Amino acid sequence: MLTFILKRLLAGVTVLIAISVATFFLLYFSSSNIARNILGEFATQDQIVAKEHELGLDQPLFSRFLQWAGRAVTGDLGTAWITNQPVAQSLALRLPVTLTLVIVSIIGIAIIATLIGIAAAVQRGWIDRVVQVAAVIGEAIPEFVLAIALVTIFAIQLGWFPATSSIQPGLLDAAWIASLTLPVIAIVLNGLTSSAQQIRSAVIAQLEKDYVRTLRSRGIPEPVILFKHVLRSAAPAGLTVLSLRFIGMLGGVVIIEQIFALPGMGALAVQSTTLGDTPLVMGVVLYTVIIVIIVNLLVDLANGWLNPKVRVS
Amino acid sequence: MKFRPLVASVTLVTAATLILSGCAGQSGNANSGGSGAAGATLTLGSVSNITSFDPAQAHLGHQMPIYQAAYDTLILREPDGTLSPMLATEWKYNADNTVLTVDLRDDVTFSDGAKFDAEAAKANLDHFLEANGPDANQAKSVESVAVVDEDTIDITLSAADPAMTYYLSQAPGLMGSPKALGSDGIKTAPIGSGPYVLDPASSVNGSQFTFTKNDKYWNKDLQKYGKVVFKILTDTTARANAAVSGQVDAVLLDPTTTQQADKAGLKKTAYPVDWQGLLLFDRGGAVAPELEDVRVRQAINYALDRKTMLEELQHGEGEATAQVFGKTTDAYIPALDDAYPYDPAKAKQLLADAGYPDGFTISLPMLPGTESILAMVKQQLADVGITVDLATSPQATYVSDIIAGKFPVAWFSIFQGEPWVAIRQMITTDAAYNPFKTTDPGLQADIDAVQTGGEESGKLAQKVNQYVTDEAWFAPFYRVNQLYYTNPKKVTVVPQVQQAVPNLYNYTPAS
Repeated sequence: MLTFILKRLLAGVTVLIAISVATFFLLYFSSSNIARNILGEFATQDQIVAKEHELGLDQPLFSRFLQWAGRAVTGDLGTAWITNQPVAQSLALRLPVTLTLVIVSIIGIAIIATLIGIAAAVQRGWIDRVVQVAAVIGEAIPEFVLAIALVTIFAIQLGWFPATSSIQPGLLDAAWIASLTLPVIAIVLNGLTSSAQQIRSAVIAQLEKDYVRTLRSRGIPEPVILFKHVLRSAAPAGLTVLSLRFIGMLGGVVIIEQIFALPGMGALAVQSTTLGDTPLVMGVVLYTVIIVIIVNLLVDLANGWLNPKVRVS
Repeated sequence: MKFRPLVASVTLVTAATLILSGCAGQSGNANSGGSGAAGATLTLGSVSNITSFDPAQAHLGHQMPIYQAAYDTLILREPDGTLSPMLATEWKYNADNTVLTVDLRDDVTFSDGAKFDAEAAKANLDHFLEANGPDANQAKSVESVAVVDEDTIDITLSAADPAMTYYLSQAPGLMGSPKALGSDGIKTAPIGSGPYVLDPASSVNGSQFTFTKNDKYWNKDLQKYGKVVFKILTDTTARANAAVSGQVDAVLLDPTTTQQADKAGLKKTAYPVDWQGLLLFDRGGAVAPELEDVRVRQAINYALDRKTMLEELQHGEGEATAQVFGKTTDAYIPALDDAYPYDPAKAKQLLADAGYPDGFTISLPMLPGTESILAMVKQQLADVGITVDLATSPQATYVSDIIAGKFPVAWFSIFQGEPWVAIRQMITTDAAYNPFKTTDPGLQADIDAVQTGGEESGKLAQKVNQYVTDEAWFAPFYRVNQLYYTNPKKVTVVPQVQQAVPNLYNYTPAS
């Protein structure tokens, strides 16, 4: 098991390095106007040259990367060019917002989708058909349409929830919960039915296996078969589906964050990328890749725990 | 059914949020509650974020009120544009308008306890000149600053600058604590003498800045609130939603979102600030030889149906015009608004006279978001025989490409400021929006007259206005209304001429 984890971590670090290098060099092309963007349209050429020197843009790209990487290894991600804030500090404020949004949503999806998926697989009939149709519709309606509909009805018409965030990251209060409710519902509604549909398929596949018939023939109660045996065997497929959705959400919440003015990573990523703020973009990318690596590792571990065969292979 | 998804989900989401938010907390001390300061709270929706609280890095305009919460300026600009004393009590030019002597208040301290005096003012202006901030060009004509006595400074200019006193009400006039200038701390937490102080525990850069009352503020008249909150809402829809649902007391909206705000009973204040239109940069014909002929440039002007454009593109929120100087300035000439009435036949005639009876082709860069505007321009110019090639230009490079002279013509929205400010931004040979540096001896003489004209300079700018309109340097469409919305139950606001958003001092709690 330990070698399994070590191997995974090693692979993760390799991916991290590869992505950092690629991103840094790609950013070179979008940050060509950074000094002008910071200084505004009335800046003179002298001002721009001075700013570029200050940011180190007059140095060769490769030595710039080495400098950045050298500091990044020690945990120093530098200072954002546009906002002048330390990158690590900006991310520390924004990461919890996005993570909370994504994790709460994925837990919501996981539990509801599993319940609906099992119900559809076991009962078939109308529930099944509703899930099938809803899966198509759910995937077809974009999150932002749901989000705007929810804002219009529950924030503006009824006034039950705030229309934009009242978040104070780090402070646990009713305002935060109220701010997160509509965005979470929008994400859950969008991802729920298609996840349920995939869990349904996984459960059906298990229900058709021989071992289920054997268990039934021995007179084991149906709920025990379902929740102890079938669900355990179907879980790896479900976990994979959910982990993929989780990773997709890290990027997908950008629009939701925009609509609800949530101070998350998404908005930061968009702003810093369009402006070419290299240190900030690199910070966002590093953190995101690390999260993705951790999630994948956790899913692998969970799968190994559920299914010993995985560990062997 | 055995389970109830809705109940389960609500319980779960709530529970999970509680757990997570507990883990997530790393910042935020609990001392952000009631600070004991009395008075109402003002919550403003801001269009753009602040990049640095260092006063020398300030880029005013949309961010003006945020800086005004923390910093005083030397000169206060009244809602109608007149300049009043603030940290400066009096100011006077010498005979040739090159030395500005400024008297300062002696009863002001910064929030870190440092005293405001002539040394502090000099330190700020020197810092501004060195810091290379986004508004550094405003202080371009400042040669040196000298301390005369404890509460007087002399600002020596390299050449007369009729906008200098105006600039002292803008970014160059923001005064920060001399102890903090140049430090890293002031970039993220302002230290000024302003009416409010930042509460870092309740602020998140890019999301929200919370200010509380500065109890030691010297001018209680300008300090009408106990707390001021700026919510950064860059997305128009989010901004409108926040206003309609009562999360913010005042915001700037655009014609796409105003219906919702009107229906919700918010109060609209509309006033023209920017002008929008085409800048016919290449008057020398370097890239597009056709544009060298004034008749071609005039033909473009006659081809535009400004009233229809205003109706269709801005929902009628603005005023059609053919001049680039603002209505609230001395350079404004009322008759020039109609200098080029819609007349496609005349446009065709002028093109034929210039030797282009079959028209010609010009290329125009298209900024994301201007598709419908440029589609209409393309149609109207096609009607007189001019073919427009539209090429998408990314937002990040649009302005820098324009300034670099990559396009013979471009659409733009330009702030209509004081005459000298406007001349320096688009007419002088070193103006950002005169990338081909076109000029003319007569025009240069008129510009020089404005520069050295002192009190008269605004009026003298009328000649410049007349010249660039006659010569069709530009093809303006209209002055666009700023649509400012306030919640009438909570706040009263006085609009500010030539400014994207009102000054912070213009808000008062609704009685």
